[in-house]
Amino acid sequence: MSTKEELLKELSDCVLDMEDEDAAGIAQRYLDAGYDAYDGIFSGLVDGMNRAAALYEQEEYFVPELLICSDAMYNGLDVLRPHVDRSKMKQKCKVAIGVVQGDTHDIGKNLVKIMLEASGYEMVDLGRDVPNEKFVEAVTAQGAKAIALSTLMSTSMVNMGEIVKKLEAQGVRDEVKVIVGGGPISRGFADRIGADGYSTTAVEAVSLLDGMMGYSA
Amino acid sequence: MSKDEMTPAERGAAIAQGKDADRLPCNPNIANGVARIYGCKISEFNHDPKAIAKSQMAAYERFGSDSLRVFTDLFTWAEAMGAKVNFPDDDTADLEEPAIHDVNEIDKLRPADPHKDGRLPVHLEAMKYLKEYSAGIMGCSAGVVGPFTNTFFLCGVDQTLKLTHKNPDAIRRLCEISLETCEAYVEAAMEIGLAPTISEPMSSCTVVSPKVFRELSLPYLKELVDFIHAHGFNPVVHICGQTNRIWKDVADLGIAGWSIDNVASITECKRLVGDTTKIMGNVDPGSIMFSGTPQDVRLKTLEAMREGYDNPSGYVVMSGCSLPVETPFENIDAMMDVVREVGYPVTEEKIDELLAKYRDAE
Repeated sequence: MSTKEELLKELSDCVLDMEDEDAAGIAQRYLDAGYDAYDGIFSGLVDGMNRAAALYEQEEYFVPELLICSDAMYNGLDVLRPHVDRSKMKQKCKVAIGVVQGDTHDIGKNLVKIMLEASGYEMVDLGRDVPNEKFVEAVTAQGAKAIALSTLMSTSMVNMGEIVKKLEAQGVRDEVKVIVGGGPISRGFADRIGADGYSTTAVEAVSLLDGMMGYSA
Repeated sequence: MSKDEMTPAERGAAIAQGKDADRLPCNPNIANGVARIYGCKISEFNHDPKAIAKSQMAAYERFGSDSLRVFTDLFTWAEAMGAKVNFPDDDTADLEEPAIHDVNEIDKLRPADPHKDGRLPVHLEAMKYLKEYSAGIMGCSAGVVGPFTNTFFLCGVDQTLKLTHKNPDAIRRLCEISLETCEAYVEAAMEIGLAPTISEPMSSCTVVSPKVFRELSLPYLKELVDFIHAHGFNPVVHICGQTNRIWKDVADLGIAGWSIDNVASITECKRLVGDTTKIMGNVDPGSIMFSGTPQDVRLKTLEAMREGYDNPSGYVVMSGCSLPVETPFENIDAMMDVVREVGYPVTEEKIDELLAKYRDAE
């Protein structure tokens, strides 16, 4: 019989060590031993993802490693999530993320999604080549409190400004934070279109949004 | 009316021979933005070889830039091997679906025939026109993606990223077959008289580790470079993003130039490989060339020149990567004009003088 600490470490390590095929099994053993699902997520899986992100920032991990770590995290989440005591949930707000219309490059978007998810945001992934209306719907119909827009293509950047305008036209601009990122995007561009924030990396996006949403320590 | 005293060919030859020249060579790296200059839609490049060649010439005539290259997007070779590509009316082509979805389909893949498959024949035709139009002005180049990058479009980007860990042998097999396609294509290009340039974006340290690069990309990149050398040409290699940890590996292939992106440091690159390798770069294509003002462009171009001008193996002023399609013409003019203003030979004093002048103007 493993202690809770041992199993949490196993969960964390299996994410860090890219053992995506073992994650669900460890999560199940953790549950079977009667330990709390919420702790398993945040002190186990997410802890491992944060350690992976640190290695990424130190240029020891790269994109493939982060993707496999996140597969492990998601495999574990699938097992633990249904068992979380909702009243205990200190989940952060809902964030809709997507690559704007006209562009399908989504490596960057996926990394931002992983990092925000690992930090406790409830992510709605709208995918890539997403029509402007979908982002607005995510706010009006799905209750997203923030939207994260990505593109690598200069020709698609115009859609980011259009989305901000649509939010204004719908009268919901004040209810939502808009953050933008991607190759041709700059802080100046973000300011010009009236976005609330811009970050250059996926890890930075977490502290950016935490600051805006009031989650910063 | 040309603003320059020399053609790019004369300039290149003079600098190579240590003679006087009018200015450093400068390649803003306009990419498919050339369609905006020539006045056609980008989708015309998919079937009209003359549009490709004439757009390249239009960019040269408009800006005096030191590069003519046949290259429209990264997916041309994978498409010729079975990948599906999406062709917007007036934007750069994009991967819609990889050629295969599972590694057990690798055996179904065949190397492309550059004279038959996909848009490769259109590109070869464009090379013949471009060669004809540019006679006496400058040598032209033929862009190709490296074998490792091509595998991502054969097998899907996310899956291939994971295969670098899960099944490196599958990557090797995909690289082998991609290499055959690359070699057949550059051989046809060299027969027409164009010098290959290799783009290997997925080898970037921003994407994969130097270890993955060395094991799964470098051996095939080396074969491609050796193949090009054996045909009497020497390629420039461009890799996007950060590349500091693989500069030496690529420089050791004996290439004609290392084209580095804006997040990489020219100063560091010069220190590490400048004795053997020409450096090209690295004004930020997004936040400066596309989004900045002409003033920003002048300052950043001068700063890049200050770092690169004394590289022992030579330096070409360039953007860090292909320019966004909608980059303002006035910014491209600003880059070219400030290189003209520095003139030749380049000295630190001259650059500092101009930096002071333009900083004061802010």
